[in-house]
This record gives sequence, structure tokens and C-alpha cells, in this order.
Amino acid sequence: MRLLTHNMLSSNIKGVTNGFPLLIEVEKVVEKQVDFNEDFLRNMFPKIEWKALVEASRTMGYTELPENAESSMLDSDEFLRKFHHALIELHLEEGALVCPETGRKFPVNKGIPNMLLHEDEV
Amino acid sequence: MVGSCSSCKSGTTLQWAPGHPTFISRVQIIGRNEPVVQVLSSAGSDWTKDFGTGIRIRKRRYITAVSGSGGGRRMRTTVNAAATETLQKGIAEFYDESSGIWENIWGDHMHHGFYEPDSSVSLSDHRSAQIRMIEEALRFASVSDDPMQKPGQIVDVGCGIGGSSRYLARKYEARSQGITLSPVQAQRAQALAAAQGLDDKVSFQVADALNQPFQDGQFDLVWSMESGEHMPDKSKFVNELARVAAPGGTIIIVTWCHRNLSPTEESLRPEEKELLNKICDAFYLPAWCSTADYVKLLESLSLQDIKAADWSAYVAPFWPAVIKSALTWKGIASLLRSGWKTIKGALAMPFMIEGYKKGLIKFAIITCRKPVS
Repeated sequence: MRLLTHNMLSSNIKGVTNGFPLLIEVEKVVEKQVDFNEDFLRNMFPKIEWKALVEASRTMGYTELPENAESSMLDSDEFLRKFHHALIELHLEEGALVCPETGRKFPVNKGIPNMLLHEDEV
Repeated sequence: MVGSCSSCKSGTTLQWAPGHPTFISRVQIIGRNEPVVQVLSSAGSDWTKDFGTGIRIRKRRYITAVSGSGGGRRMRTTVNAAATETLQKGIAEFYDESSGIWENIWGDHMHHGFYEPDSSVSLSDHRSAQIRMIEEALRFASVSDDPMQKPGQIVDVGCGIGGSSRYLARKYEARSQGITLSPVQAQRAQALAAAQGLDDKVSFQVADALNQPFQDGQFDLVWSMESGEHMPDKSKFVNELARVAAPGGTIIIVTWCHRNLSPTEESLRPEEKELLNKICDAFYLPAWCSTADYVKLLESLSLQDIKAADWSAYVAPFWPAVIKSALTWKGIASLLRSGWKTIKGALAMPFMIEGYKKGLIKFAIITCRKPVS
């Protein structure tokens, strides 16, 4: 699971008012090299919850992202590369996503999160 | 919730869900510590249906609970959360078991092909027919190719092994998220994406279409290609599709429905229900609804540009072709290696043909747009 996906996922457990962002428990992180696409990054930037991305990337062991970001930073090649790396190239292979309110863990196996709710969470 | 069932007697009419009465022919008190009721249908078949959740109940064996409030006769639709979980498990296991054999013979699109009516097709035409189905659906919904208007984020609800996700991501140079109940399918979908160089454009999660793990308004295109049949709660299913659609986004549902009821009909005829029940059993489907039911649900959510069509004439060659492929040496060998769920599914295929021929089963497309504000 890459952080682009993580930035869209939330916990929909019954009663939870804000299930985003999910916390990350890391067991195995893999870095997969992907070709850089500037247009894509520019398009995605306004839709990304930046704080969630920074937090998540730090949990995954990448500390290069700035705390805050604005669109003017997209003109910097260095920034784009860091953004690209965090968003697209870091993968959580094994671990869990954790509901920020209930602490319930959604397992991630072989890069696939299992977001199914139990009977009593619906 | 379990309550006292002392007020339930034979001959009582139970209200399973608004407007769907069902008749109890016999009431038995079973269970040791909890008073629960076995509901026995007066219908001829072994099966009856909980119309509230659409979960099928086996006569004489299924234990359900009756609310003790009031006259003790109103069946709560939330009672069957356990049954929903059983259905989900059945669906997951069915696809865990069957996806490989399907892919082996038919490829990565697990949906009907779109054919010219009354055409004869060979096995090699089916893949292009399946791709045509995707293109015709996009055209019906007027999804734009224009770079400024084409979808950027897509959700594939009931994604199978990701055929649609990968196709749409490639077509629109978009990102696609796919959800499926089957871990085997999700893994296979991701592996195929990686093999096709789409690993950064598509990703797959094991998740429930009735509780999508996404925030509101994320997707420009909400795609449900032949997964609606599996949804036990059509209202919740449609609600979730609408919730995750972005303002101005398009929702496309291609699904199996039963024929619309006439204004004087309360329900399908008993023999029609019998036939559908056999199919439901083999394919892990809950209760069917009609195309008109979907349209009503979309209207109730104030969605716009609602369009619906019956494409049954365009899919007629499909099931005969699937049966034919199953009866080849490769097909039979694969079935024997697969498992009982897959074989049972294969044996039910003639019922699909019968259903289409009788005008009971409809291959429906329903599309709409989420308002901009």
C-alpha cells in the first residue's frame, strides 16, 4: 500500500466521527522505484492531505518532507522528488492501519489492506 | 436482538421489512438459552427470503430472532448482521476459489461481453466483447475523454481481479482504487497491475462495498461492473456509491436485475422466485431487485441525469459461451481441480439462460451524476 492510497482511506467504524487519517503500524516497508511524473504530482497536490502524508511518511522512516507545503514549492525539482518518493515509492508491505479513534487495527498483508468491518462495527 | 417469541403463532403474518409480508406456516421454539424462532415458509421451495436484508433463509434450519417489542411480529432488518457476514464469507470464498479458473479460460475481465444482437461469436471474440462492454457503458454515461474533463480518480466497486481498474486507468491515465471481498482477487489484481506497469496507477483493497473505507467525495468515476448482484442491502450500496462520488462525478452501475414489476404486482411469481433462488444459492447472491428499484434509489438521493437501459439483448451469447468453455477438456479439468463452490456455480449457468429467455433476468445499466454543489 502506498501513501497515495493511505491518503484516501479512512475508518468507517460505526460511531467514529473522524476516522482519518489512519495511523500506521509498520512491520515491513519496501521502496519501489517508479518513474517521475510531474503533471501527475501537480494534479494530485491540491487533493492531498499534507499533514497526513508527512506523518505517514515519517512512520515509514522517511523524514525529508517539509512540515507544511504550498503549491509554489512545486516549482522546486527537489521538492517534487521528495513528494514523489513519499507518495508513490514507499510501500507498506506488512503491518496495519489503525483507526485513530478506536485503535482498531486493519491488517496489511503483502501490500493489501483489509478494511472489512466486523459485525459489531457496522 | 432476541426477544420473547411467545406472541408468535402459526398463521401470523410477519413483517420482514416495510411492505414485504411473509407468512409463517409453523413456529417452533428452539435454542436452549435464548428464545428464538424458526420461521418456516409456506412457499413450495426449501428457501425463503428475508426481504429486509435479502439474505436467503433455509427452511427449517435457519434460526432467526424476533424482536420482543410491541406485538413481537416486526422483524428487524438489522437482526441479520451475522447472516450478512456469512454471505460475505461465502462470496469471498467463492471468488477465492473460482477466480483462477475464470482467468485461465476467460482472462481478467469477469463480466459479460457486449455483442450485436443475434450474432454468432467464437471464443476469441469474447475478450473484445468484454472490452466493448466497458466502452459502451462509458458512452452510455457520457464520460468525457476530454483531458480537462476526464476522470482523474476512479473507484472500482467489486473489482474482481482488476480488469476494469487497469483498463480505465490506462484509458484515462487516471488512478483507480479497487475493492473486493476476496483477498485472493486483491492479490492477483495487484500482481497483474505490477506486471503491466500499472503498479503506481491502480491499487486494491479488501473492503466492503457497503462500508467503503474512503472519505466522502473522492472519485470522479464510481464504477460497479456486475457487482451489485452481491449486495445484500441495495439502498446502502447505492448510498455508498453516491457518498464517495465527487461533486460532478459519474456513477455507473452495470448489474443483473429481475424484470420490473407491473403496477398491480406485489412481487415476482412463485416460479420466478424459485428460479432466482437456485441462482442465488450457487452464486452467493442475496435478493434481486429490479432496474426500477435502482432508479428509485438514485432519485431518492437527488442524483442527476439518471439513465437506465435493458441490455439483455446485447449479452445473449455470453452464458452459452461460458457453458461451452466449461465443457472443453480444459474447462472440465479445471473445474474438477477447483472446488465444490466453483462446480456448483458452473452447474447453475443454465438457470441464467433460462432466466434471460423468460424475461425474468435483465442485464441492466443505470448511470447518473452527482450534483456539483
